[in-house]
Amino acid sequence: MSDSVFSPGIDPPSPTLSARLRELAGYLAAPAAGRLTEEQRALSLGVARRLVADVAARLDPRIDPGLLWNEWLRGGLPCTAQLAGICFARAEEHRWREQSGQRTSPPPVLSEPETAHADARAESVPLSDIDRAYLALQIADRRRFDALGNPALAIADLDGETFRALLLEIAAWRLAEVSEDTRRAADLGDAVRVAIERQAGETGMAHAGHSYYEILGAALPGAAAAAIARHNWPTLIALAASAHRRAYDDMAIALLTAETAALPSLLAPLRLDHAALAPLEVSLVMLPARAVADVSSDE
Amino acid sequence: MSERIIRGRVDRTGALVSADAPLLRLQQRAGAGLDKPLALPHLARLVALAQRLHRDISRPLYAADDHSDIHALVRITPDADGASLEISDWRTRPVMQPQVPVIADSAAVPQSWTWECDQQLRLVALHAAPDAPAIPDGWEGRSLSELFELQPDEDGRFPVLRALARQSRFESQRVQAAGIAMILSGEALFDAMGRFTGFRGLAVVAEEQMPAEPKGGGTLVDPAFGSLPLSDPQFGRRIDGALRGPLSRIIATAETISGQFDGPIRADYARYAGDIAHAGRHLLGLVDDLADLQNIERPGFKAARDEIDLGDLARRAVGLLGMKAEEKGIRIDAPRTDDRAPATGEFRRVLQVLLNLLGNAIRYSPDHSQIWIRVDREGDRAMVTVADQGQGIDAEQQAVVFEKFERLGRTDSGGSGLGLYIARRLARAMDGELTVDSAPGQGARFTLSLPARDA
Repeated sequence: MSDSVFSPGIDPPSPTLSARLRELAGYLAAPAAGRLTEEQRALSLGVARRLVADVAARLDPRIDPGLLWNEWLRGGLPCTAQLAGICFARAEEHRWREQSGQRTSPPPVLSEPETAHADARAESVPLSDIDRAYLALQIADRRRFDALGNPALAIADLDGETFRALLLEIAAWRLAEVSEDTRRAADLGDAVRVAIERQAGETGMAHAGHSYYEILGAALPGAAAAAIARHNWPTLIALAASAHRRAYDDMAIALLTAETAALPSLLAPLRLDHAALAPLEVSLVMLPARAVADVSSDE
Repeated sequence: MSERIIRGRVDRTGALVSADAPLLRLQQRAGAGLDKPLALPHLARLVALAQRLHRDISRPLYAADDHSDIHALVRITPDADGASLEISDWRTRPVMQPQVPVIADSAAVPQSWTWECDQQLRLVALHAAPDAPAIPDGWEGRSLSELFELQPDEDGRFPVLRALARQSRFESQRVQAAGIAMILSGEALFDAMGRFTGFRGLAVVAEEQMPAEPKGGGTLVDPAFGSLPLSDPQFGRRIDGALRGPLSRIIATAETISGQFDGPIRADYARYAGDIAHAGRHLLGLVDDLADLQNIERPGFKAARDEIDLGDLARRAVGLLGMKAEEKGIRIDAPRTDDRAPATGEFRRVLQVLLNLLGNAIRYSPDHSQIWIRVDREGDRAMVTVADQGQGIDAEQQAVVFEKFERLGRTDSGGSGLGLYIARRLARAMDGELTVDSAPGQGARFTLSLPARDA
């Protein structure tokens, strides 16, 4: 079954009574609390679905991701503790980027160019080290979308533990499917080992962001300020994550849930002046249904 | 392929209480959800209309979200507790939005790659859709023009380079990538400061790959179009894409004004808006016809072989055009629900032919007359006949009525003169035939015959 055909997981389920009562009990325990919007649920679930499909494809291309996902939808996803954090971070980052994209000012209207001019513009310019690092960061970022541009998680960006846990869950599911075929079952063990080794050697946003951060040197504040002015949030998150030596998704969620007053200290390592933070503050305030960091949360 | 029906249910307050996934997704993308008021304005208006009339209505449905325009047919059945929705022939076409990094699921073009480059045309993303050729290794950071060998258009220009200089969208850039001929299109991207940041778009395997296509990219010579570039498939596709979206929006907006859905306006202004919508629909029909014409005249055009029932399709056509007939007081005598004529043909195309025949019958029949639709079987042929009480067609006219652009001397805004030509071409593409039997003053009988099948 192709990726674009199977359910994104937002079909209304038929609830059991016990599930409804659990839901109601949770609601009654905190009726005034804000809850996930349908968009947040759908985006997070979509991110999880694409991740499961990607990991399954890496384990064994013959796995039907639609079948796997539908079974997990019915029985509940495994590794929920790990998946919730990374999927929510990716989904919220995507919402933030979409919001910024929709509010972007219209592009300038240019006059009709001469063809010769057009040709000249296309000539390649030698890349500086900074440009090369920034290009690598862009490529790492775009790997976090599927072929249709929907938000996804790149396997290279997963921490080893989460990847391993998910891989083993999928392998266990697959094992139940192919258990009668002992040779394929044995191959599965090898595939798990190979996949773990391969993932350990991959680099993603964290590495690309760190390389860019390192090479910027004194140009860091300018690059960070430009990223904010241009609403280039992945670059800002990557730079902040490197400065704090935190994981990209961890930094993304810290920034996305930060109170306005906490932003200057959170971004202090980027040496930004206060005025440069204004577009960031405005953009975060305008993001609907934004979660705010717990009081006990560090930073 | 069998017709998939998407169902939904609206309650008395206008809230969507149940919906199949595509409809629910659309509702969610419009910012609502289940148990929330229907957030699709056109559909909501049609539901309100059906409830006001206390009768079933079938209408074309136009909807749009951030990513795509959606055309479909909707049947609304009102009842005491609300209304049931049945949506068929759901078709989507992507709307490129430069700042939104999503190409909708509906935009999954077979045999295509999605790509993105920066302002220096260096590739930062390249993904293959299902069934597309594998993407070459080592594309990361390479120049777009290095990976895709650019080829000039008929004027010797490169659309992508022109677009780069103008920082605007482009399409129909012919390229060669890994030995495959592809067509590149892209949308210019801008950041929050209005700075150009690159392009994002599709690379679709070119139809010239097909062996039947004439080589050399030359313009197809067509006696009807003469030297007009309309006979060039690429030009046709560009025109089709460029016109359909704006026209749909003009129609939708004009209908909104005409229907005074956003508040009362002067009656003559509402009437003008109605005229605009009417003219827009005419133009859209012409675009549809031209697109169809190019499609069916393409070498290698084939229709699907669905298992269909001509009786069912005739009733659907009546459902879709029944209101139009009622406006002229025309009564349509449709096949009964147990009248069946199992046949083989492409569901959508047969419906298109029947809509054309029935639409013509309504258009050229006098007010308060009658139209008959009958289904029948003769040997290995299943047939459906549309008969009217119009002025009829003499033998001389019958000889040319299926010709391209033939309107039998009519000059009104009723049609393009392509409908019957297309209908016959479609019938023949499905191993069928479309014939006419008429005499002046005796109405006309158009009969579509297709290969019959045993039910």
